[in-house]
Amino acid sequence: MKFVKLFFSLVLVVAALGGLGFLIQKTQAADGQKHLERLAAMQKINDLDVALNRAMTLNRASSLQLQSGNKAEIIAGLGDALDDIDSGDNSLRGLAPQIDQDLDRFIATAGDKFVLAYDFDIRSTQIIQRLIRSADAVPLYTNQSKNLVEPGGHVDDLLSRLQTDAMAVIIATNPEARLLEGIRSQLVMLNAAVAPDQAALTKAAGQLEFAIESVIADKQELVKQLDGFFTAPTAQDLQTLRDTYTLWHEARVSEAAEYRQYLIAYAVALLLILAWLGLRLRRSFIELDRANETLEAQVEERTRDLSTTLKELQNSQAQLIQSEKMASLGQMVAGVAHEINTPLGYARGNADIVKTSLSEVQEVSRLQGKALQLIADGSASEQDIAQAVSAAVALDQDLGTQELLDELDSLLGDTDHGLEQIAELVSSLKDFSRVDRSRDDVFDLNRGIESALKICNSSLKDSIEVKTVFADIPQIECSPSQINQVFLNLITNAAQAIEAAGRDNGRLFIHTSAQNEGINIRILDNGCGMSEDTQAHIFEPFFTTKPVGKGTGLGMSITYRIIEDHGGRIDVKSIEGKGSEFNLWLPLKQPDVAAAGDTAAAAA
Amino acid sequence: MSESDKARVLFVDDERRILTTMRMLFRGDYQMFFANSANEAIEFLKRETVEVVVSDQRMPGMTGVDLLREAKDLRPEAMRILLTGYSDLDAIIGSINEGEIFRFVNKPWDNKELKATVAQAVEAARTTREAIQLSRKEAEPGSPAQSNLPATLVLDEDPSVAPAIQHMLGDQYRVVAAATIEGAIEIMEREAVGVVITDTRVQNQSVVTLLSTLKEHNPELISMVVTARADAGMAIELINQGQIYRFITKPLRETQTKITVASAINQHRRMSRHKQLSQRYQVQKSAKPKADTPPLASALLNRIRSLRRLVTG
Repeated sequence: MKFVKLFFSLVLVVAALGGLGFLIQKTQAADGQKHLERLAAMQKINDLDVALNRAMTLNRASSLQLQSGNKAEIIAGLGDALDDIDSGDNSLRGLAPQIDQDLDRFIATAGDKFVLAYDFDIRSTQIIQRLIRSADAVPLYTNQSKNLVEPGGHVDDLLSRLQTDAMAVIIATNPEARLLEGIRSQLVMLNAAVAPDQAALTKAAGQLEFAIESVIADKQELVKQLDGFFTAPTAQDLQTLRDTYTLWHEARVSEAAEYRQYLIAYAVALLLILAWLGLRLRRSFIELDRANETLEAQVEERTRDLSTTLKELQNSQAQLIQSEKMASLGQMVAGVAHEINTPLGYARGNADIVKTSLSEVQEVSRLQGKALQLIADGSASEQDIAQAVSAAVALDQDLGTQELLDELDSLLGDTDHGLEQIAELVSSLKDFSRVDRSRDDVFDLNRGIESALKICNSSLKDSIEVKTVFADIPQIECSPSQINQVFLNLITNAAQAIEAAGRDNGRLFIHTSAQNEGINIRILDNGCGMSEDTQAHIFEPFFTTKPVGKGTGLGMSITYRIIEDHGGRIDVKSIEGKGSEFNLWLPLKQPDVAAAGDTAAAAA
Repeated sequence: MSESDKARVLFVDDERRILTTMRMLFRGDYQMFFANSANEAIEFLKRETVEVVVSDQRMPGMTGVDLLREAKDLRPEAMRILLTGYSDLDAIIGSINEGEIFRFVNKPWDNKELKATVAQAVEAARTTREAIQLSRKEAEPGSPAQSNLPATLVLDEDPSVAPAIQHMLGDQYRVVAAATIEGAIEIMEREAVGVVITDTRVQNQSVVTLLSTLKEHNPELISMVVTARADAGMAIELINQGQIYRFITKPLRETQTKITVASAINQHRRMSRHKQLSQRYQVQKSAKPKADTPPLASALLNRIRSLRRLVTG
């Protein structure tokens, strides 16, 4: 999803940049520099054309002289310039069809003009040579003729005028028709003036006429050729081309202007989008800032909530531990009360029986004493003595005094035993419930196990055979009441497991040994055992296999915690239906007495 | 008195010294049998009959309550006494409801009192042997007959209890309610009441004296205690001095209530038919009334005494 979104944004950005590039390229369509260069190229062509024309005009002006050097230069320049606009740097080709067409026409016209110019050079040389020949012939024939006519005469005058006019034709750029008509009329007059009989003159005059006519014809042809050159519409076509190009350029300029507007609009749009994004970003940042602030507040609130909950949990945990303590205390009190009340019951009953029986024995004793007194007293009659003795014997027999005394002795023995048991139990209780000053009390674990066994006696009873193997172990630093609680828990659990298994031959085996700077305690029973699942959870708080209301499920977790607090270890091995083994290890010394004291206080 | 004429008493305790003491204490009075465990006792009861069974509560394998329940089934005529060093509330309630025991005796006991209690039990067992066999031969009615059904009196300060019980019992039973002891006596003066259901305390006063007096003068009246404030000492007083039939802890459950009340009514009818049976439910005379339970006003006591005529009449 995130990747798709990223890809989509990337495509959008590329498209936006592409649009921008396209518009910029479009606005670059009208290249001002290029345009000026092209115009300059065209201007150059125009200038060269004009220069060529002028050169040709000069040619015409002095028809008899050829200044082809200068012209060739111009023509070469013009060719280069044409190439320039046709296919060179400033080529106009390919810009637009109309321009191509105009360019083609202009180049064709220019080509024709070149051809003309070239032709002209060749042709005009012939003509000019002919003209020069003709022109040379005119004075020759004029002089021949003049030699044949009287000087200063009409014919001579005509001949002079003809020569002058013929020379005028040669010199003139474009001989006027009037001049030509004058020559013609003069020629007519000459022919008229020459008599047919004057053969030499006629011939000379005829040759002169021919020469003049040649001059006129050649001159006219020359003029005509020049006119063709000058009338070639290069300037016009170039103008057309220039106009077309200018128009195209203007179109491009206006198009570029249009695109520039688009570009501006587009840029504005992009800027707006950018601004919107910026705003959005800013807003996001503001929201983020605000979220951060509220987050801090929320975190603070949560933390407060959590610490309240934690405190409540700690309280309720303390309450639960307390209630577990009270529950086990209640259980213990029940057991202990029974344990004390039973010997107390028979001790008291026995004492009462002994007391009652003693008064009966006293009666026997009194009767016997009385009989003895009578015997000792010599004054008593035989009959009295016999009566007293028989009364004493009768009561003695009736009571079975000797047996009674034996039995009373046995009862007193039981009583003694009972009182001893009570005394032992009370002493165990005192041991067991000692209030620990701190964790560094030294304590004999063997004694702890013994007192726990004594207190548990009512739940162990006769049906469980308890076997203890106590090694000679050093005393360890610990909190005795807590460790006693551990023993009580483990022994009670074992007893319950044996009871649950319904065994008559219940066995509890407790073994202590010194090991690894500590004491190892093994507690084995042949009770119902535990499933692997139960073993995995046995030390977890609130885990219980007892029915609801029969256990808080804290006993074993408290056991575990006490052992852990003491830096010890506890683990369990069990086979369902066979029995369980708890293995404890407690270190000889407590590492940090102060810290341990704190946890002990917390656990208390 | 020949040996075979003597009453037969079974003592059960896992502590042999207790049994020794008993043998010495009752030497010459009864034909005594001893069992060192509950299982041994059951085996014996399967073979032999006795008048009285005295059992310890805490024994390996089986508790005294469980043994007495078995004994009740095996030898219903035998009176049952629990003699124990300590019992929690559950055990006491069990001994009332399941064991239907005659007395609950705490260790250490007073020899004279114990002798008197056992003698009372023996007497009750002997005088009611025939009656109990007769009453057990009678077919137990599936449900109490509609006619002549005595009322069930609910004595509770909470006025919602009586309607709740009436609702649970249905229309078959008539439930009457009283909020005070005086009110209860007034009702009993007016109409036939077979069963009294009460809390342990009414008007901030223990009902032990009331129930004791009622039982003493009207043995056929069956009493049940329904309470949310169960307490071991109170329960022992209620059984020993009030001879309550059942002890039920709140909240009430419909089926349990229905069965219990039906059974109480049957018990009432059985006892009405066989007056001797009341011997089995004699109350213990309270040696010293508790400081916080002032004796009922003599006027009230007199009224209770005169009730017998009304209840049975």
